[in-house]
Amino acid sequence: MTELLTTIISATFFFAVIRTTVPLLLAALGGLLAELSGALNVALEGMMLSAALTAVIVSASYPWWIGLLAGVLAGMALGAVMALFHLRFGADVVLVGFAINLMAAGGTVFILAQATGGDRGTSLALPSKSIPRLSLSWLGAIPGVGGTLEAALSGHSYLTWATVILVAGIWFMLYQTATGLRLRAVGEYAPAAAAAGISPDQMRALGLILSGALAALGGVQLAMFNYIGFTRDMTAGRGFIALGAVLLGARRPGGVAIAALLFGAFEALAIVLPALYTSIPGELIHSIPFVVTLVALVIYARRAQLLTRRRVAGVEGAT
Amino acid sequence: MSRWPEWAFEVLRTVLALVVALIITFIIVLVVSAEPGEAFAALLGGPLGSPRTIGVWLDDVAKLTLAGLALSLVFQARLFALGAQGQAYLGGLAAGVIALSSLGQSWLSIPLGLVAAAVTGAAYGWIPGIIKARFGANEIVSTLMLNYIAIDVFAWLIRTRISPPGSGLTRSDPFPESAVYPTLIPRTRIDLGIVIAIIAVIAIWFYLYRTKRGFELRMVGFNPRFAEYAGINVPRTIVRTMAVSGAIGGILGAVFVQGSAYGELAVGFEGLITFEGILVAIVARNRPLIVPVAALFYGYLRQGAVLMGLRSDVPTEMIGIIQGVVILLVASAGLYGWLRASQANRAPDTDSDPDAPQPPIIGGGPLTEQAVR
Repeated sequence: MTELLTTIISATFFFAVIRTTVPLLLAALGGLLAELSGALNVALEGMMLSAALTAVIVSASYPWWIGLLAGVLAGMALGAVMALFHLRFGADVVLVGFAINLMAAGGTVFILAQATGGDRGTSLALPSKSIPRLSLSWLGAIPGVGGTLEAALSGHSYLTWATVILVAGIWFMLYQTATGLRLRAVGEYAPAAAAAGISPDQMRALGLILSGALAALGGVQLAMFNYIGFTRDMTAGRGFIALGAVLLGARRPGGVAIAALLFGAFEALAIVLPALYTSIPGELIHSIPFVVTLVALVIYARRAQLLTRRRVAGVEGAT
Repeated sequence: MSRWPEWAFEVLRTVLALVVALIITFIIVLVVSAEPGEAFAALLGGPLGSPRTIGVWLDDVAKLTLAGLALSLVFQARLFALGAQGQAYLGGLAAGVIALSSLGQSWLSIPLGLVAAAVTGAAYGWIPGIIKARFGANEIVSTLMLNYIAIDVFAWLIRTRISPPGSGLTRSDPFPESAVYPTLIPRTRIDLGIVIAIIAVIAIWFYLYRTKRGFELRMVGFNPRFAEYAGINVPRTIVRTMAVSGAIGGILGAVFVQGSAYGELAVGFEGLITFEGILVAIVARNRPLIVPVAALFYGYLRQGAVLMGLRSDVPTEMIGIIQGVVILLVASAGLYGWLRASQANRAPDTDSDPDAPQPPIIGGGPLTEQAVR
């Protein structure tokens, strides 16, 4: 037990938590924007996967940041496809999402095989690049806590730090700008928003395309920092866990960040536990993030239900 | 010009979707493949090549039918529950435990395996049902998480308890012959599983259209609020629907492991076929009697894609593109507006015609949707 505690309360573990959190958080922010606009994005998984592969293939011949941009464009394109079929052609958004997931799962393997010359498993044959690390070695100069801070915070990718800014930026966009207000209004009750002259379709398209961009960033971080290169199905359910984080985070950017951090911590725990306790089977440790998501889902739904009841009771009491 | 019946549109829509998907496939194959002729021949003609490949195709059809049925049930109640995968793993596990026990030496292990699988699947379907009905927890996320959990638990039990001790294998010993479905046509995979699938189709059709509970289920899918006013216990219907669908998912697991293709418990046996069941259910517009037809067509393409992967330089995973395109096009009712508009007399809208087949629109609503009290 003490071993576990010393492992968890260490700078290296904190570093690992940040590492596992960032892809989840980026995807969850994407899920949040789509969800707030009233279009549930179940395609986060497929968007992450497609962006990861795109970034790997493009970065094999171009600088890392072009790979990143290409990945983001791929995600946005998928978001636009979702918007087109859902909003313009009237397909159910969940079905469109699953269609995209199926296409991404098969299509990435197909394209991977084309790009590597036949390898259907990994992109080892491609010299793909990684997002540079941001060294904060000056932190080590701070007396006392410097060493710990450096170990925990130095060496994350540029995108990791950009994610922190993105959380704040998305909060600002949602709650301090007219666009954010419109987006939320459409998600809250589209007919009212439409009556006020806001186009629900436009806002939802925006939500889905931005959602694609953010999920794509998550996929890029996964394939260009957490791991270098693409492996088939490398997202392994992260897109769906991200949806759980949207719920647990009470559909607010800060909350979503905390929820993603929680899921990230459990994922990091699942990585360190086997080394400490060989008796705990790997399969069960692997399932921890899924169990946590399920429990969180129930807790969130229960809370939302109580809140609504209280609100309804309040309205009835007032009349 | 006479008015076309609604079903003709649905068929036309589906055929169009398939044609477009195939054209896209052909173009991609032409671009990437050095031997496009081989690839096309395998994709479109391969499954009929030998009795063995026909058997594999029909065996897939049985499994796709069961998966499509399980999903059609929940889709008809407008629940986007995708738990069939987890239910298949745990149902298969239950059937496998019976087949590997002393009961496996008797033919009784086949009916008992089915019952055990159905009960296990129903229990695993009940969980997301009850948390949906009680708390309004989104069933998409909950069923997907339960799938991952079931896969992990299954793999863990196989490795530590069920595989031969000390072997570290990811599979069990083969079941005794008496616990494996008898084949209907020798030296093919055509076995009892097909009979089970056909019985399931009829049973689910009867349940949905000839019983009070089936009526309640469809009412809840049609309009939960109206169903509630009509005196239907909506939460109970949700839980029951998820459990019945779970039973079918569990049976799918038994058909997998006790079928002649496996006859053992093996990690990953399901091969994501339950997700392809989504496509089958959507193409069949969630109607149980159409599900096997959709499964026949899709199973053919699926087997063709496998043969294409084996016999040409085009990977099997190409089929993911067909899956996606077909779902997108079939689900997009609005895309076909011009088809209707081109007629002299417009067909009535599906919504205004109570006898019209249900549109394939399903979904859990927003994530925060409240439980229907």
